[in-house]
Amino acid sequence: MKTERAIKESLRGLGRNKTRTFLMMLGIIIGIATLTIIVSAILGAKSNVMEKVGKFGFDQVAIAAGAGKLVGVPQDVPAVTLKPEDGEAILAEVKNVKGVAPSFQARSLPLKSATSNTDSTVVSSTPSWADVWDTPAVEGEFITDEDLASLARVAVIGKTVVKELFGSEDPVGKQIYIRGVPFVVKGVLQAKGISPSGLDMDGRTVIPLTTGLKRVFNKDYITQIKVKLRDPAKMAATVQDIKHLLRERHNLQAGVEDDFTITTPTQVTEVATQVSTALSLFLIVISAISLIVGGIVVGNIMLISVGERKQEIGLRRALGARKSDILTQFLFESMAVTLFGGLVGVLFGLGGGKILTLFTKLAMVVSWEPFVLAFVFSGVVGILAGISPARRAASLDPVEALRS
Amino acid sequence: MIELRDITKTYHKNGEMEVRVLQGVSLDIQKGEFVAIMAPSGMGKTTLMNILGCLDRPTGGTYRLDGVEVEKLDDDQLSLIRNEKIGFVFQTFNLLPRASALENVELPMIYSPRSGDLSKKAMEALKAVGLGDRIHYKPSELSGGQQQRVAIARALINNPSIILADEPTGNLDTASSEEIMAIFKNLHQEDRTLILVTHEADIAQRAKRLIQMKDGKVVQDKKIG
Repeated sequence: MKTERAIKESLRGLGRNKTRTFLMMLGIIIGIATLTIIVSAILGAKSNVMEKVGKFGFDQVAIAAGAGKLVGVPQDVPAVTLKPEDGEAILAEVKNVKGVAPSFQARSLPLKSATSNTDSTVVSSTPSWADVWDTPAVEGEFITDEDLASLARVAVIGKTVVKELFGSEDPVGKQIYIRGVPFVVKGVLQAKGISPSGLDMDGRTVIPLTTGLKRVFNKDYITQIKVKLRDPAKMAATVQDIKHLLRERHNLQAGVEDDFTITTPTQVTEVATQVSTALSLFLIVISAISLIVGGIVVGNIMLISVGERKQEIGLRRALGARKSDILTQFLFESMAVTLFGGLVGVLFGLGGGKILTLFTKLAMVVSWEPFVLAFVFSGVVGILAGISPARRAASLDPVEALRS
Repeated sequence: MIELRDITKTYHKNGEMEVRVLQGVSLDIQKGEFVAIMAPSGMGKTTLMNILGCLDRPTGGTYRLDGVEVEKLDDDQLSLIRNEKIGFVFQTFNLLPRASALENVELPMIYSPRSGDLSKKAMEALKAVGLGDRIHYKPSELSGGQQQRVAIARALINNPSIILADEPTGNLDTASSEEIMAIFKNLHQEDRTLILVTHEADIAQRAKRLIQMKDGKVVQDKKIG
């Protein structure tokens, strides 16, 4: 029998008993719909993470002062071991380093303009900060080497700060006070949105490192160094080099813990994916169970159907169907049920996912993956569920089957 | 074209009791013959039909069909013979209840190795039995006689050389029986081999040769009509 005819005949068989067909599909639809929602959610979470890592930068590593610290997480007791000179040394001595931005950061510092107040994260850093953080000034100018040398009281402020302090006015050239120290706004930072750890990147104020350390904070250490690499593929080796250099510079003996923490984009990804992996594993188990149950339902209804259709099977054999033709017919029927159920399930899943995003914060990504997964899973379930009923149908004695 | 030699068929009931349904049947049927096989119910008619139709294998004896020893063929080869050489007509019509007349007639073609336009051929076959205007009717929407005509169209669709009819009028009223017998008469005139199993004497009288069976044996074999 030609495959095309066999498929057509199986579909006709299913079409002739729509209730039975629908019942068989139900379990598969539920299973695949669950699976689709899970996959969409995983993809959504993944794209969230990738977006965050993208903001962090694939070609960057961050060095935080203190052991076991994560960049972007506020520190209660500041580590004092990281110095501005460490940044210069990294740039000078480590290969594959394109730029460094040593900085002293302070959160929630009071800022004041002539008319209003706000809080801002104040970053004292060097002119290379703009390039390393990929955040140039879009209005006015960024801080310069001269500003650094002259301990200039100039500031480049983020869009949120502009909005809070000046509303819709042009801030460039205006005066602000940081912790009571007067500064002139030199430029406005390019908008960056929310950081991996949920901070408003546009709420930052950048001032020269020297000015910050001597005039505002009166400190001689920095909180972090962001390093931009030339070749991100050599990240691991470069991280090792930085580590050796810093340990040497900080006079750390073998066996003593690092007094700094190096964070790479991969680590950011890992932290963010761990949570979603645990949740999705649980959901995958649920969807696997419903697929198995769905498969058992299909198998059993197929078995009952073989019993009910004995006479039809006998007739087909009398009219010239070979055993293999009967086997194929029933196998195709079961696969058609599960594949179609799979397709419906994917569509329900995508629809359900969309509805879920309205009520929850889950990110859902509509993509091709659920279709492929549904095709593979429902195809496999169809074969597994159909094989035993199909073999039973094929092995029926035609004379016995006709007589029933 | 059909040669039966000492055909026996034994069933085992409940694993113990032996039921000898056929006890040495020998028959020769030539191409184009119209044969009626008469026997009381339960006397091996259907078993003989199933063996002739290559649906069942005899316990003993030999069956040659067009010179081929059927016992030596495997299951797939027997399926092909049923598909190409034999057209079955059953007492209970045996139509797929949820399929249209057209789909029912197409059924044997699905299993045929030959290709062609299924529904066109099936349509012609239904026209030939006078049901050209009922092709999309379900069996339940047709009368008994019409259903049997659909079944005959189905039996003829692959142009078989032998038509095996098992009590074809058994479930029909007199008028419908006449219609069916008229079709058989035409088929006989087209030089097809017709083998009709019945227990109704007046139906059997329409054939050209009458074979009487009793207790699994042929007791009489004569030309009639």
